[in-house]
Amino acid sequence: MNQFDHQWQKLTALARQAGDPRDVAAPYGFATRVAARAVTLPPASPWAAFERFALRGLLVAAACGVAAIAVNYTIFSSEPADDYATTDTVGEILNLS
Amino acid sequence: MADDSFDLPGCLDRVRRRDQVAARELVDHLYPLVIRIVRSHLPRRVAEEDLAQDIFLKMFTRLEQYQGNVPFPHWVSRIAVTTCIDQLRAQKRRPEFRWADLSENEAEVLDNVLTDERDVTPGDALEARELVHKLLDQLKPDDRLVIQLLDLEQKTIAEISAQTGWNQTLIKVRAFRARRKLQKLFQELQNKEKS
Repeated sequence: MNQFDHQWQKLTALARQAGDPRDVAAPYGFATRVAARAVTLPPASPWAAFERFALRGLLVAAACGVAAIAVNYTIFSSEPADDYATTDTVGEILNLS
Repeated sequence: MADDSFDLPGCLDRVRRRDQVAARELVDHLYPLVIRIVRSHLPRRVAEEDLAQDIFLKMFTRLEQYQGNVPFPHWVSRIAVTTCIDQLRAQKRRPEFRWADLSENEAEVLDNVLTDERDVTPGDALEARELVHKLLDQLKPDDRLVIQLLDLEQKTIAEISAQTGWNQTLIKVRAFRARRKLQKLFQELQNKEKS
């Protein structure tokens, strides 16, 4: 056990001795208030678990989209009309030129 | 949770049928479990009763999703733990820890622990607890939770895994990371004290 472990164990052992004298029973009226609200709440949708990831998912998707455009920028920036103009595929196949 | 005769499955059935009395009994039954978790991981400036209420409302809205794979109190514990962690994350910035932030008694306890010159006494327990919580405030919420459960509540890795739903390797990694951060904090405090 190194010096830090010894110090930390000593401190936490002392902290544990303090205990917690506070009452753990529900305060008067708490259960009634919560139960009254609970029965009026709609049940969580099965998709609720995904909602917390939705914004992060959207940001990741947007970042992927931008990255895809950046990587393929040359394809988007080239003018397709030039390709067609300079390539005579039929002529090449038939060897007309 | 002291009432062993409480008919939990029967109560849950009635709650699913929107029985308000059963919902009240369930809250009363689970309140000690929830409030202990809330008090252990209570974020600064958040009222414990408000947080407990949030946890119970989440429990009721998700009740249809409970499949019975884990004991119901464990399932509620996980909701309580994740709610507390979400609250701690929402606070974002942790204030820098300085020697000057400690009360006179807390500083004395820390000094005794660091220098090992004088034994700490049981009378220092309250200050030690405050001090430990101030130190834990410096950790990331997940790491803080692991150290709290391991070192203060003396739970085993398996018990923490059941309570949080995290796998045991992840818990060990978080404990290691948290202790390293605490060690660094101790060293900084020692250096500041000397200077």
